[in-house]
Amino acid sequence: MMQRDLVIVGAGPAGMAAAIAACRAGSKVTLIDENHAIGGQIYRQSPAALSGLSVPTDTNAAHGKRLIDELESLKEQIEWLPQTSVWGYFPDRKLAVRMREGWQIITAQQVILATGAYEYVAPFPGWTLPGVMTPGGAQSMLKGMKVLPGNRILIAGSGPFLLVVAALLHAAGGNVVGVVETARRRDALTHLPALLSNPKLLLQGRYYFKQLRKARIPLHWGHVVTRADGAGSLERVTISACDSAGKPCGNFSTVDVDTLCVGYGFIPRTELTQMTRCEMEYQELLGGWIPRLDQRLSTSASGIRVAGDGGGVAGAMVAELEGAVAGLTASHALGDLTDKAYKQQITPLTRRLRKSQTFRMALDRIYQIRPGLLDLACPDTTICRCEEISRKEMEDGIQFGGTNISTLKVITRIGMGPCQGKMCWPTVSRMIAKKEGKSVAEIGNLRVRPPISPINMSDLLNESFIAESSESS
Amino acid sequence: MNRSAEVIVVGGGVIGSAVAFELARRSVDVLLVDKTLPGRATSASAGGLWPVGEAVGMGCGIIHHQSHSPSEGLNDALLLPTSFRDFLTQSNSYFPELAQELNEFGGMDIEYEPGAGLMFLFFTEEEKQFGHLIVDRMPPEVRPQILSPTEAREVEPCLTNDLLGAARLAEEHQVNPMWLAEGYKRAAINLGARFRHETRVAKLCRSGERIVGIEFEDEQLFSDMVVNAAGAWAGTLASTADLRLPIFPVRGQIVLTQSVPHILNACLSNSGCYILQKKHGEVLIGSTTENAGFDVSVTPESITHLVSAAVRTLPCLREVGIKRVWSGLRPGTQDELPILGPMEGVAGYMNATGGFRTGVVASPLTGRVIAQQITGESLDFPLECFLAERFAPVQKTVRI
Repeated sequence: MMQRDLVIVGAGPAGMAAAIAACRAGSKVTLIDENHAIGGQIYRQSPAALSGLSVPTDTNAAHGKRLIDELESLKEQIEWLPQTSVWGYFPDRKLAVRMREGWQIITAQQVILATGAYEYVAPFPGWTLPGVMTPGGAQSMLKGMKVLPGNRILIAGSGPFLLVVAALLHAAGGNVVGVVETARRRDALTHLPALLSNPKLLLQGRYYFKQLRKARIPLHWGHVVTRADGAGSLERVTISACDSAGKPCGNFSTVDVDTLCVGYGFIPRTELTQMTRCEMEYQELLGGWIPRLDQRLSTSASGIRVAGDGGGVAGAMVAELEGAVAGLTASHALGDLTDKAYKQQITPLTRRLRKSQTFRMALDRIYQIRPGLLDLACPDTTICRCEEISRKEMEDGIQFGGTNISTLKVITRIGMGPCQGKMCWPTVSRMIAKKEGKSVAEIGNLRVRPPISPINMSDLLNESFIAESSESS
Repeated sequence: MNRSAEVIVVGGGVIGSAVAFELARRSVDVLLVDKTLPGRATSASAGGLWPVGEAVGMGCGIIHHQSHSPSEGLNDALLLPTSFRDFLTQSNSYFPELAQELNEFGGMDIEYEPGAGLMFLFFTEEEKQFGHLIVDRMPPEVRPQILSPTEAREVEPCLTNDLLGAARLAEEHQVNPMWLAEGYKRAAINLGARFRHETRVAKLCRSGERIVGIEFEDEQLFSDMVVNAAGAWAGTLASTADLRLPIFPVRGQIVLTQSVPHILNACLSNSGCYILQKKHGEVLIGSTTENAGFDVSVTPESITHLVSAAVRTLPCLREVGIKRVWSGLRPGTQDELPILGPMEGVAGYMNATGGFRTGVVASPLTGRVIAQQITGESLDFPLECFLAERFAPVQKTVRI
């Protein structure tokens, strides 16, 4: 058992900012991440072995680089545990981790969970074909492994992230044939006044639109991918205009591509948060089930704070601010920061966070997950990829009384596979809600059980002592 | 007082659902009321049908080996009564027919796998001696076969070399416990039973020496008979009507692996865990025996303990992924026997609980005898040794 002051889970924007803030405040910080390097998904760094290959950077990457450099300069003072995943949480802030050398329990006085978000894909015919991936998947292939996902790429779904990935793939030499955005241009224009509340971020958005225009990549507002076809792997994608609910309304056309990056925004990654048994609430616009947080990002569980997209999807800039707030608050709780210094440092941050709300909410509204997307799936379309359960099998299960997750699991095996329902529950719970005439919140959330990250039996045979020795430093 | 049903069954686990099924097929107007609480034993059952193994403490070897040190030698208290073994054996014999019936009436395949077998493994001299002692005392018709390490590995090639022998019961079976409960329930509904799910019964309604119905938050339902099949919660429910039912939750933690190719036919049982492979390829490793109240947490100590014991038994599990770990609350009793049938001094009430580790295998016969008791038929098995009255009554404190 390792005893630690402050443990931060996740080294993306929120986790890095939290580590920097708490470390500068004089706290002993332990930073954990599954990856080999800091950066998270958005600022993912490639392995050293690939350093000879260069990939293009953008303003976003430049900002990430500054954050990474700042944290790197503090590395001597923090305990950095790479390739370490948290597979369970036990009462009184005990985190069960898997390290390269074995397992260990870390008991923390204060915990900051900066676990980020998953991408959401509404199932449609052909979405399981090789060649279909998420925009984040394509981004991580490029940033992590420095390879392009394919030759002719279509990007589809919803949200500003599509533009980021389109620009990145294009700059790396990829042939991006178009971006298909479910939101209609008028949805964006309606919210323009609110977007003006943050000129900096709005300008960043404009920058991406300009990049696309310069590259002559068409942006199809108000369109949706209705199916993907191909013999063995992706060859063709069908797109259609859609209404405000995201429902296809004719004008079908096909595009020949070998790669489709499709994602409809993000869902907070909350398995670990849920395991702390803190209060959760359903917030459709923030991505679904999120912890109930106070202004200083504390959950209802003692000593547990959540920062970044894992507490409600809001993007990297907000995540960074939240990370700093959570980091300072944890330092204050540890007694490493005086009341006065805390107040002085926290006030400008919370003010900026509050200000970001207007922009964030406008963006959430424009790019919300639209109900019509649920009807893209045909009866034989796979809903649960792990157990290969089709929409029809799922609906028969619901008909048979599977109106909550535990019963539906028993009847259909939905959510019984390796991912334990993480990937399909956002879709399945919406479908149950629709069928039962209830809200998604009423249908409830998945019950989370360890392990929440992949571990093998052998990972639990040996306790890791490597980390123990660093305790003495 | 409006009667809602002739019989209300509280608890939709494997026992309550079996009772509802047997009542419905007898044309009794039955209402099954259920609330899926975290930790219900049916959801944590391995689905092993081990009537002989359980009755001699070999179905889940960990239990007797932990609670009774083998060095104390063998005494009869270690073995459950013969009548209980007979009850389980008889109940078990209904499964082939039941699997067909539940398919016919409920449209469910309960994944009945006959002849999977049960093997109790000896890793130490002490375990071996103890195992042989038990085997020697058993009547020939149910006596396990003693296997050498080589023989054991011929039956189960994935077994470790580090083994001193095994006792094998070839005639023990498996079933999918969740689908069994679901099958009973659907068959019951198709035969006319009504089902209220997601409804937690707050209390039993008592009028003098009679139970007259049940109460939810804002509603009362009346019936001629209430069957308490609330599993680990049965004692709590009974106490709402001043009935003393000595049932306590016994927590069992379980580890389930990702699906792997077929590696195991039988269920393996040793002093550290039992292991069996389910139809979808997952390997199930159970189970701890803990008194932790109604806490359904899992603990790192137990998880790592079960994992080590499983890898020691089947080394090929080493690099297999873990899918999930969870726990269930078995309805336990002092003597490890169920509590079935009516209670002295109170009419309109029937117990069907306390199945501890044997609820699944006991469910066919339990459903029958409870239904028979209610309809006044002759019983397929006498209930005397399962009545609640066998527990010494505790002197009730009289308030002055």
